[in-house]
Amino acid sequence: MRRPMNSTRHRLCALALLVAAIAALPSPAVSAAPESQALAEMRKKLDASLQMIQALGERVRELEAKQATAATAATPAPAVAATASPVPAPTMDNARLEANEQRLEQLEKGNASRNADDTGLPLHGFADVGAGTRNPINTNLKGFYVGNLDFYMTPRLGDRTRALFELNTEVSSEGSVDVDLERAQIGYQFSDQATVWMGRYHTPYGYVNTALHHGSWINNSLRRPNFLQFEDNGGIVPAHTVGLWVTGSTRGGAGKMLYDAYLGNSQALVNGVLDMRNAGNTDGKLIIGGRVGFQFNEGATEGLTLGVHAFSAHIVDDALAPNATRVLVYGGYAVYDTDRWEHIAEIYLFDNKDLNGGSGTHRSNAGFLQLGYRAPWGTPYARYERAALSQVDPYFAAQVAGVSYHRVALGARFDLDLKTAIKLELANTRLTDRGRDQYGEGLVQYAIRF
Amino acid sequence: MFVRHAAVNLWRAAIACAVLLAPAMADASDAGVTRLDQLPQTWRDELGHPLAFTDLIGQRVIVSMAYTRCHNTCPATFAQLRRMQELLDARGERASFVIVGYDTQDDDPASWRQYRANRHLARGNWHFLSGTPQAVRQLARQLGFKYWNYDTHVMHDSRIVFFDSQGLLSGAVAPATGDWSGLL
Repeated sequence: MRRPMNSTRHRLCALALLVAAIAALPSPAVSAAPESQALAEMRKKLDASLQMIQALGERVRELEAKQATAATAATPAPAVAATASPVPAPTMDNARLEANEQRLEQLEKGNASRNADDTGLPLHGFADVGAGTRNPINTNLKGFYVGNLDFYMTPRLGDRTRALFELNTEVSSEGSVDVDLERAQIGYQFSDQATVWMGRYHTPYGYVNTALHHGSWINNSLRRPNFLQFEDNGGIVPAHTVGLWVTGSTRGGAGKMLYDAYLGNSQALVNGVLDMRNAGNTDGKLIIGGRVGFQFNEGATEGLTLGVHAFSAHIVDDALAPNATRVLVYGGYAVYDTDRWEHIAEIYLFDNKDLNGGSGTHRSNAGFLQLGYRAPWGTPYARYERAALSQVDPYFAAQVAGVSYHRVALGARFDLDLKTAIKLELANTRLTDRGRDQYGEGLVQYAIRF
Repeated sequence: MFVRHAAVNLWRAAIACAVLLAPAMADASDAGVTRLDQLPQTWRDELGHPLAFTDLIGQRVIVSMAYTRCHNTCPATFAQLRRMQELLDARGERASFVIVGYDTQDDDPASWRQYRANRHLARGNWHFLSGTPQAVRQLARQLGFKYWNYDTHVMHDSRIVFFDSQGLLSGAVAPATGDWSGLL
């Protein structure tokens, strides 16, 4: 049954291509050919094939008209077929065309009505590798390093239900691969003005911690300021909180008011590193905080965001006689993020109270200023950061990374394409209390998104 | 017999050509639609007025997607769109430029109005559209705009899709790497 059809189709195709090929021949060559019987025969065949092509063209136009009808009118496929213009007497080709047409219509309708994503959970994320005269996290190491492999998942659950999971694999300073569920939050969006999240989230303070997450590619600079690193990378401020978070924005005259309010498990210090107490803490103490900012969007102020933030937590370490500190942090941030500039400044003031050691209240501070320029060839940046941390404050004394320091860094980001960036950084760091060391770093990072 | 053999060979040659040409045509064939009237039609422009793609049939339509807080990819896309506009102006030809917002939460008509004002995109034939999340997702899928949200960021590529004055898809290009001059 199929052989004659194939033969017909081949013949049609051959003729169509032959016609096209002959039509493409230079006309002088054709006119110069002598009149012969063969040519007359060829002309006859050409005429026949042209007629066939014309018929096929008409058929294609009919089919296109039917598809248009199917796309604009949401009527069942048989009804559309019934309203189509008259077609030639059914042949085997026609029957096949009809069947294909119906399948096409079904596919088209299916595509058009597939509003909700039913293609499963897309897997996206970031990865980076690099090399340096010192490892950017563990400065005792040098050479090549594997950075993060970060998987980001946001299943679409409905109009208002939100979910966000970020699974990060990173190489520890000892070289082992650790997997961390960096964020696991499920939320409900009441309106554009308010979304409530519960779970593990990035603590909303400053700008960097909630704008530049674990994916290195997203950050124009090669790394975060040291004191704002994630906990297991040397950060001294709780980057993650497990709890409840309300966030939203309201549009004002010249921009947008942004707000965040949150509470969660007070973090603890375990082996000298902040731990966000994923499963709860033993004393039921809470971290409570908030952030308010204003994002300008008019004229020269477009891209400027100014804000303040504060939080209070009750943080206990794991010493034999545990130290408890009421950590009070407040400060502000300013961002100027435009098509040309990326400037970021953040300041953190610590007013920590030793709750059971009797050493009183200790003040510390940390901050950074980063200036970046988006040039056509790349994004050069310069950053100055410093932390002046009281070493008699049990909160900093118990932290491996609770060191005061100054760092100056110059770097640049070069985008190889829309998904790949190479970043370079030269930095000089001076430790100002523990160790009193000074060292330089040359770093390169190759970061992608996928 | 000879005709049949030749036909088979020609058929094979045609398939080979199609395979060879596939990469070059991938941009257009990825689109999944061939006409403007197959796209979602319920949009609001930067003035808050309803606008459908079918309203624009009658002149060439150039479609891209963007979001107002993008400072990397979108400015480069807009630079290309401006160049297209200049080229069309030089030729004395007309076209509608349509930019659809990826970010349905932030990119409402007021945001686009401000975006236009800040970037001096005052041409009347440029339309900045906001839509529902479903409409934006469907349009992106149909026209081959790949994107995903990373918190407040939209991870996306740069793409421009061209429709002729009849509303028929005439091509698509990634402006960073592709040459669009042949599509205008």
